[in-house]
Amino acid sequence: MKKTLFFLLALCGATLSIQAQQNPPTSDQYSSPTRLVGKIVNENGEPVSSYTTVTLGNQNISTTANERGEFTLSYLEAMDEEVIIESEGYLSNIVLVQLLGGQTNDMGTVTLYTDLSRAAQEEVLLNLVEADLNDDEGKSQSVSSASSASQDVFNTTTSFAWSTGRYRNRGYENYYEKNYINGLAFNTAERGTFSFSSMGGLNDASRNKEVVNNIEAANFTFGGIGMSTNYMMDASRYAQGWKVGVAGTNRQYKGRVNATYASGPLNSGWSFIAQIAWRYSPYIDQKGIIGEGISYNSGGYFLSAQKDWQNGHRLSLITFGAPTERGQSGAVTQEVYDLTGSINYNPYWGYCNGKVRNSRIVRSFDPTAIVSYEWQIDPQQKLRAAVGYHYAWYSNSALTFYNAPDPRPDYYRNLPSFLYDGQLNANGQLISIDNTALMNPLGTPDENGYLAEQTYNGNIVGRTMDMATYQTLTDLWKARDNKTTQIDWDALYAANQANNISDPNGSASYMQERRHNDIQEGLLNINYANSKFGHLKITAGLDAKYAQGIHYKSVDDLLGGNQWIDVDPFAERDIKDLATNIGLSQEGIENVKQNDIFHHNLAKKEGDRFGYNYYMNMVQANVWAQNEWTFNEFDLYYALKVAYSSIQRTTTMVNGRAWYLAQINYAEADKYLGQNANDIFSGKELPLYKGFAHHFIDPAFKLGFTYKINGRNRIKFNAIAQTEAPLARDIYISSRVHDRVLNTVYTHDQAKNMAEYYAASQKIVGGDLTYDFNFPVIRGRLTAFYTQFFDGAEMNGYYDDQARTFVNQTLGGINRVHRGVEAAAAVKLGTMFTLTGAVNASDNRYTSNAIAVTSAENGMAFGTKSDGSPILEYTDSIYMNGLRVANGPQLTASLKLSFFHSKMWFADITCTYYDWNYLDIAPSRRMMGLYTGTRADGTTVNGSYRTVSSGVNDQSTINAVMLDEQTGEMILDKFGTPQLMYPYNLMASQESLASTNVWNRFIFDLSVGKLIYLPNRQQLSINLSVSNFTNNTKLRTGGYQQARLPRGNIQGKTEEEGNSVIMPNAWKFPSKYYYAWGTNFYLSLTYKF
Amino acid sequence: MKARKYLILAILAAGMTACTYDVQPEKLYLSEEGVAELVASDGKLYTINELLDTFMTEEGNYLSDTSLYRTRATNGNGIYLYSIDTLPSTGPGIYIRGRVATDDYGGNFYKALVIQQIVDGKQQCMRLSIDLGSASGMYPRGQELLIRCNGLAIGRYANQPQLCVPSYNNNTNANKAGEKVGWNPGRIPAPLCRKNFKHIGTPDESKLQYDEVTIAECIANYTDIVGARKIDGRLVILKNVWFDGKYNDQKNGPTLCVHYNSETGEGNPEVADSNADVFAPTTNNMGFPQSRCITDASGKWTLVSTSEYAKYAHYYLPYEEIGGKIVYGTYKGTIRGILGYYMDNAGYDPDQAKWAISICDLGDLDLKADGSGNVPAGTPWVPEEWVK
Repeated sequence: MKKTLFFLLALCGATLSIQAQQNPPTSDQYSSPTRLVGKIVNENGEPVSSYTTVTLGNQNISTTANERGEFTLSYLEAMDEEVIIESEGYLSNIVLVQLLGGQTNDMGTVTLYTDLSRAAQEEVLLNLVEADLNDDEGKSQSVSSASSASQDVFNTTTSFAWSTGRYRNRGYENYYEKNYINGLAFNTAERGTFSFSSMGGLNDASRNKEVVNNIEAANFTFGGIGMSTNYMMDASRYAQGWKVGVAGTNRQYKGRVNATYASGPLNSGWSFIAQIAWRYSPYIDQKGIIGEGISYNSGGYFLSAQKDWQNGHRLSLITFGAPTERGQSGAVTQEVYDLTGSINYNPYWGYCNGKVRNSRIVRSFDPTAIVSYEWQIDPQQKLRAAVGYHYAWYSNSALTFYNAPDPRPDYYRNLPSFLYDGQLNANGQLISIDNTALMNPLGTPDENGYLAEQTYNGNIVGRTMDMATYQTLTDLWKARDNKTTQIDWDALYAANQANNISDPNGSASYMQERRHNDIQEGLLNINYANSKFGHLKITAGLDAKYAQGIHYKSVDDLLGGNQWIDVDPFAERDIKDLATNIGLSQEGIENVKQNDIFHHNLAKKEGDRFGYNYYMNMVQANVWAQNEWTFNEFDLYYALKVAYSSIQRTTTMVNGRAWYLAQINYAEADKYLGQNANDIFSGKELPLYKGFAHHFIDPAFKLGFTYKINGRNRIKFNAIAQTEAPLARDIYISSRVHDRVLNTVYTHDQAKNMAEYYAASQKIVGGDLTYDFNFPVIRGRLTAFYTQFFDGAEMNGYYDDQARTFVNQTLGGINRVHRGVEAAAAVKLGTMFTLTGAVNASDNRYTSNAIAVTSAENGMAFGTKSDGSPILEYTDSIYMNGLRVANGPQLTASLKLSFFHSKMWFADITCTYYDWNYLDIAPSRRMMGLYTGTRADGTTVNGSYRTVSSGVNDQSTINAVMLDEQTGEMILDKFGTPQLMYPYNLMASQESLASTNVWNRFIFDLSVGKLIYLPNRQQLSINLSVSNFTNNTKLRTGGYQQARLPRGNIQGKTEEEGNSVIMPNAWKFPSKYYYAWGTNFYLSLTYKF
Repeated sequence: MKARKYLILAILAAGMTACTYDVQPEKLYLSEEGVAELVASDGKLYTINELLDTFMTEEGNYLSDTSLYRTRATNGNGIYLYSIDTLPSTGPGIYIRGRVATDDYGGNFYKALVIQQIVDGKQQCMRLSIDLGSASGMYPRGQELLIRCNGLAIGRYANQPQLCVPSYNNNTNANKAGEKVGWNPGRIPAPLCRKNFKHIGTPDESKLQYDEVTIAECIANYTDIVGARKIDGRLVILKNVWFDGKYNDQKNGPTLCVHYNSETGEGNPEVADSNADVFAPTTNNMGFPQSRCITDASGKWTLVSTSEYAKYAHYYLPYEEIGGKIVYGTYKGTIRGILGYYMDNAGYDPDQAKWAISICDLGDLDLKADGSGNVPAGTPWVPEEWVK
């Protein structure tokens, strides 16, 4: 660590020494420098105040315009020059000028026209981001920070058009997309992601931004491997006037109204802007359409005040928030999509007293306040500082139940396919002759004794399935019977009503709980930039953040029940097994099921907290410095960052399972109970129980080089190397229950050398090489990128059918590579048309087999070791090497034809192709022990792929792992994964999500708009965006494999003898999928005055 | 300008209204009038016995070739243990009603309900085979149900009549799978339960009727196998009975459970692990019920049946330790439960007795010390958990 700090200080020192040597050219050196000045305005004649770059095409010189739209370029060569002007939210403009030597050339006022198409798309994108949060069970694919398009041709093309297919920048997770507001880092400390819903509907708030492409140099942050976006909300950046808008859509919400007033810079030095917005949808009581069973109600406010002083000081006060309540929809299996005939089927809703009611209601509100200060010390020096605070309320409701049937309509046992269970032979085929050979199945056998199969609804139905039951179930689903395909709310109320009478002091059978994941953060940013040293610009910054995640559940609606008793139903059910592990006393047994061992069986009413109540306390601080060298032929930059972070969990409730685990691992009790383990064991109740803090220091270094072949052609190279501390959400094995973290974190905590210190940190090495071209007729870029991740971690939880309880599985040692090319080009076809093409082809895959540690959340034993002690957790290798990273399509290409007329008409049509998109696999199905019979830790697997059900009339098993006939060795694929026979290979293979019909991989989008100028500088803009207008409902955008394996028991055998077998029904727990919406539109009218 | 601002504010305010659900409990279930109205408009209400008499045949109507079906499932006397009669899916509604007598909170009634109807003061009972885990959360004990049976089936499993759907048992991993594979009464899928079962009023356990019987009456009075079917599921109370610490060994009849006492060393710990005198030691997932003998002063004995998955399965049978020895039968009293008729020729079941009482949980036992041991007379029995 000392070396790292020393290096950082040395870099700053070097910077200062260079400062002393690099003085700017003086007027003595260039007696009359050639200069170019100008002013950039919009179509209303107002300054374009968003981040605007002015580049000379032939001389490789560029600058940015100030808030008044003014710019100056000095020390130029006299020549004919192309001035390329680009600004966020505007169409680029290229102006030809003749630079006369030795004088100031004034190119006057240049008009940039609003990119109406982009403006319309921005709002649609924000909507998409929220829609993406619909399934918060951890498997939903989030779109990238799609609104973070820059002027880069590739990004402007892909950010909107590719959002339908859930394309992600270079296949990275969304926490690699860094988002800042006035320099403050707003990706949350706990999950690493940015909450776009905090700005929902406030499109003006997010209008002005700087975007940094991946590893490139940034002036507001060190950056990273993903995109970095800084939203600049200073009031002076907004054009003076009123703006009111109304929009209609058939997406998540149906209508939107908004109003904005901006004062523009006033003579007093003040500027103000205020925006309010409201988006709304009633409950959609229509099946099969986008948003069925969903309601939406969201307000929004954005206020910003800014004071400028003559001496270069600026102070901004910013606040915004968007209180939102919205219903959700969830992913389902293909069978459900097929039965309901709609990709819009939503299992989360049903009728309650005749009204539509959704069980998954998100409530979010992230009020944010920022004070930002800027001091233009002199023309070459700027100091920026900001402090901010936000408290993000985020909660989601869900149904829960206690000693009652699962209320989910799409529960696997409720589907016709469940009737197939047990009716398949070892080859995965429906049995056509039974195991007794007595032909009990219905029908007339052929001469071989085999029966013909029958079909219904296009599916083959076995002769051993009752056709009437199959038909009835199928028909109920196809008819969208309310009690079958939706939540039967009235039945839940009836069950509670009955329970109130039969057991008035007992727990309600059903309840709607609310899971709260709040976070509060205090943020600080200081940024200093100095460009007074000629070719060198230095930038240095400090980011700091204190964050606290607040996690608890509350009783949202008892659904008519009297109360909810705060115990864990799973632990209560498993108590018999738990007790026999260690011989608990009666009091101990009673403890295990409690969610708070100091308060047994508390009766909870609506609004009460229950289940868990813990805090994640985090501190993050980054210091970084960057040197940028600019020369005529090349640019060079390098930057160093040192990041500190700490994570500590505290809780007000001591969970009974944590207490139990501490009992059975007494020597390491504090790993589960934290610093107060002794207090807890002695029965001392405390207001807060502290876990152990984990501290990390991680360095990062990046550099870049740009070779300017000429003004129109550039080659850029960027590289980065960094270590990255794990996020709080990834290090706790079960943060709801106990304090235990990944073993690698313990190794880090007690590190004796560098390797151990960074055992828990992910290491990232990456680079990209870009060829940029910018001609009057064609511009674009071609980029090759390569990023390698080492020692990543992942957390999974699932119901284990063999253990018959919920298990947690931590994965470590995940290595992966993301490599590919990005290319885009925009070709002007005359004065009105532009043809833009973009393509991304990448290969993002795992390059190692992960190590997984699996344990039951309630501490139940998985079996017995040879010494008779219980197996409380096991370690195994996961065959992941070679699998694709499931993070959106890895091959995407689009072609867009745009039309723009100076009468302010625009239109475009885009065709996008998606491919190489893969299912997110379940590690639990690819554990080495399942293939070999023995886990990495030497323990034996009860029921592996080597001992699957034989499907014949005895208790024998067969081996589904393919073996070489000659050697008897397992047959491996090129990545070293053993191969399985059908149908078991279906359970573990990674499915391609691309449709077999090529035409289903295409999406067509259309947008059209018109800006109408009215008297007195009033404007009316009309935009219509129609996505997927060919209504392709076959495009899968993502999906995940269920972790559960179909298992059966061999009766009469003990666990030690191997009484568990994997059954051939590979379709019992099928994958769940996300589909792109069908045709959807967004129509908006905006009136400016 | 002002008008525009006020309009915007008004729209915003109008949108911030929450949806409320005014659920009225009385609308959640049928009243007696509702039952009458529904049945009158849709079909006919049968008593349980009427339903069985009308629709259940000896051989079942389900298979096209019953001779094939018969071959595996007889009791040796030409009585078929399994049958399936489908009920018409169309036509007039076929309704029955009954009050739920089971409670699966204790884990002893897995995916099964027993309903009781009182007709002319006498019990008529039937089992419902349903694919609903923790069914008591939806259909608690004492809840009366109106069931539309159309499209379902009546079947017999080990001669126990039940409402069901046809299901093919292809469990090749079952013990002696060859004898089990075939068509059986199967569980009614949850969506069909939700569609066909309606609550009548609210639960009232006090309306369940228990017949007080003796062990002798249990085991002797219903030897007629067809008549026995109508006794299956009957709610009974046995008085002055006790657990004698025995289980019914397949070969040797009632055999004393081996109780291992770690302090005295009595009993073989190896054997005790598998035959401890708890209500139901593990069967290694074979899943069949375990039975423990109860007896009375007449010397007659019958069985109390418990699933190994029951939450009370690992509790010791009532005993006292007297003079370093384990003594059973010092706690005597009342047992209430559901009488079951188990006729199965599969041979794997060690229980030879045809009748057994199933209790919902230990609350169905009301046992007190008789004073013959160390515990004073009248002291209630306190369940003790078996811990490895």
